Amino acid sequence: MKAEQLKGHLDALLLAALETGPRHGYAVMEALRESTGGQVDLPTGTIYPALHRLEAAGLIAGSWSVVGGRRRRCYVLTEAGTKALSGRRADWRDFAAVITAALEGTPWPSTA
Amino acid sequence: MAEHRLIAAYRNDLLVQLPVHLADEVSGGLADAHENYVSQGLTPDQAACAAIEEFGNARRVADAFRRACPAWRAARALIVTGPVVGGLWAAALIADRAWDWPIPIAVRLLVGAILASSVLLLVASALARRYQAVRRAGLAGCIGLAALDASMITTAILLAPSLRWLLVLAASASAVRLTFVASGMRRLVSQPRS
Repeated sequence: MKAEQLKGHLDALLLAALETGPRHGYAVMEALRESTGGQVDLPTGTIYPALHRLEAAGLIAGSWSVVGGRRRRCYVLTEAGTKALSGRRADWRDFAAVITAALEGTPWPSTA
Repeated sequence: MAEHRLIAAYRNDLLVQLPVHLADEVSGGLADAHENYVSQGLTPDQAACAAIEEFGNARRVADAFRRACPAWRAARALIVTGPVVGGLWAAALIADRAWDWPIPIAVRLLVGAILASSVLLLVASALARRYQAVRRAGLAGCIGLAALDASMITTAILLAPSLRWLLVLAASASAVRLTFVASGMRRLVSQPRS
């Protein structure tokens, strides 16, 4: 899956990768690869600016630590990030249900 | 493990456009990727090439940082919306014959200079390649525009003979822009710098 196809979904993917606990940039990318069976094909270097954008928006918080003699910036979900992730998940479920119904000719699930 | 020469060169390429803490963060991740490939059995040179291919070239990464910078986003938004807010003020001031307001010529010139320099700084922020230049020019442009908006609203309230709808519209547009700029500046100032 190329970067163009992920446009608009990258933020949610990054938030989801941080849901299980703090990670540094490369670990976020590894978690993303693992959870998608290696289907996500993004230049890893572009993950870092996206993490900084999410940090500026207050959805994640970053802090420096030294691990194995190397300085690493670790990120953790904030309360606003957790809420945003829940919202993105709900939006995605609705979106996927609508598109699946349209493409496969299945009836739209009635809530009545 | 000592830093591979290709990774050191990649970090130097990043440093041309990015501040040290950003270059350190990315090159630290690159070193992790390098170690990962070495542990999979590649030679150090092959591992460095694979890690760099995985990360994408340094210029692309630096560009992505620039586009993620709140100053760059704010500068572009202000450049796009500027003519609308400026047009509203021009129409309101002409309709109210603002040239008759008792404002000293030095103050008028100062307002013009702040407007021109703020616009120039915002354009410089939107076009700059170096992250620090984007950030500093954007922040200065935002501050200039915020000061201008605040002084225009205050002047209109104090000096306009009557608050006509055009003046209210222009002041409202400035107030919305002030709120946007304040939120952008909060993000800019809270950005990590080390």
